[in-house]
Amino acid sequence: MRAGRGATIAVASGKGGTGKTTVAAHLALASSLSRKTLLVDLDVEAPDSRGYFHEAEPVGEEEPVLVPIPRFEGEACTGCRRCAQVCRFGAIMAIGRTVTVNDKLCKGCGRCVNLCPSTSLREMMAEVGTVARYRLESLDLLEGRMAVGDIRSTAVIEAAKRHAVRIETEVQIRDCPPGVSCPATHAIEGADFVILVAEPTDFSRHDLEAALKLVRDRGLESGVVINKDGFGSADIAGLCGSYGVPVIGRLAFTRERASSGAAARLWRDDAEFMREMTAILEAAMPALALCEGGSR
Amino acid sequence: MMTIAVASGKGGAGKTSFAAALAASIGPGSIVADCDVDAANGAIALGGSITRREDYFAGPGYRIDASACTGCGACAGACRFEAIKPSADGRSYRIVPELCERCGACVDRCIARAIGTFEKKAGELFVSQTRIGPTLVHAELEPGEDTSGKLVRKVREGSTALAGADTAIVVDAPPGIGCPVIASLSGCDLVVVVVEASVSGIKDAERLIELLDSMKRPAVGVINKAGLNAPMDTRAKAVLERAGLPLAGEIPFDPALRSVEESGKTWKDVKGAAGDSVRKALASVKGAMAGIARKSDHGQGKE
Repeated sequence: MRAGRGATIAVASGKGGTGKTTVAAHLALASSLSRKTLLVDLDVEAPDSRGYFHEAEPVGEEEPVLVPIPRFEGEACTGCRRCAQVCRFGAIMAIGRTVTVNDKLCKGCGRCVNLCPSTSLREMMAEVGTVARYRLESLDLLEGRMAVGDIRSTAVIEAAKRHAVRIETEVQIRDCPPGVSCPATHAIEGADFVILVAEPTDFSRHDLEAALKLVRDRGLESGVVINKDGFGSADIAGLCGSYGVPVIGRLAFTRERASSGAAARLWRDDAEFMREMTAILEAAMPALALCEGGSR
Repeated sequence: MMTIAVASGKGGAGKTSFAAALAASIGPGSIVADCDVDAANGAIALGGSITRREDYFAGPGYRIDASACTGCGACAGACRFEAIKPSADGRSYRIVPELCERCGACVDRCIARAIGTFEKKAGELFVSQTRIGPTLVHAELEPGEDTSGKLVRKVREGSTALAGADTAIVVDAPPGIGCPVIASLSGCDLVVVVVEASVSGIKDAERLIELLDSMKRPAVGVINKAGLNAPMDTRAKAVLERAGLPLAGEIPFDPALRSVEESGKTWKDVKGAAGDSVRKALASVKGAMAGIARKSDHGQGKE
């Protein structure tokens, strides 16, 4: 377990809607019963974790996520077009001695500013999202939220990860975005263990395979939770076996769970479900089992 | 040509299933552009055999040649994304691919010229003939690659290239509201917002509707997984009404919808009440498409 940010478990999936947020929220709840726990919502395009903890109180002010964007101040521009040539994001148009920056495409790398021979580009901060902290008893919740219309989700994810390090905790649980491209890779980077949530459908099986490859390529330890077990007949366990990844939990599908889950109600009174959550935590983090054993 | 996108904000709301049913209902002349390149399920929903494939390259990435690196750390100082870290032995630096945005700022600062570029296949683009009829343009992104927005644009271009004057293109958008979603929705004539009748589904749909508003895209709503929780159904309808989106249909949560897909058909062929609600929603979306077609004909003075 690393100091500062606690043992970090990332909950990811490949396919959206398999139950990442449900699992992350309940793992955080189960963990918070015996230790300081931080739930970090890194699905910044669609942050939904807080929906499960609507009684959580805000802690401090919400922090803006700022990205430095170049502004053109053109008196000295030589018209060399170097800025437009080096921009990998297609954010700069240079015609004659006029430079136009597309704020929405700029990632704020600063390359154009550093290479401009006439210092005609000056950086200004632009807000691309927010990070907000909430608390409910021994559970801290950190929510990254990208502004609507923005595309710099990774800047918000990294800002939330940096903020998370400042919160003292024993366990950090990350609710990651779907997919296997940049937002998902940023969200799982630095985690000690990745829990992939799948459902027994052909769609989920296909997307889980991409996520299994991603986790394998990154050399991360992982386990699969089969959610909505019994809802479909796709062979998730067989796929996990072929990747040498264990199935560390099965959550049965019931219409009652689907119904109360739609209302984002926590199943804290569903004893079987909560037991399953504790077992998943212990499978993900043998170290946690030791901590808990000590506190019992 | 008309382009109709199916989007949702939240993942797992039923985008791909509804998009497949819509294309099947429009007919074999339609094209499906599966823009969820991270998790492409169009080929599973429609059952296809690949007729054309093309490698996709995302553009160069960077790496540091440890033998040429002097360990000065100037590159790490230039990197705004904290993607450059000291190597294990501390004598050189390395680029963490997950964090690298491929901007190249490090290259400009490296006096030893130890940073080179590499190009690697980032995915594949496909055209498939589906069992159900429509042509499918789809792609698979290599896990861990970035630039999914760029691959989405390739899928859109590929589907447009195959379309004739009267072709309908159904775009299956990825979840979220970020770069690949904007690339999927830009220029679409109509967007079907699939709202999952749940707290998360509704919140995410609201963010998507706000995005569509700023993009000035006309939209209609379809509520999915209705009947699980009555207050959620009511709330979903209220959100659509407040946003001024016509309600095209309401599809119940019914395991029969999943079973029909396992038997190689789309939602349009489900029997019973769930099927009826799907067919009603499809008819209503096609009605909205016809309305937009009439308007654009009128606009061009063809009448």
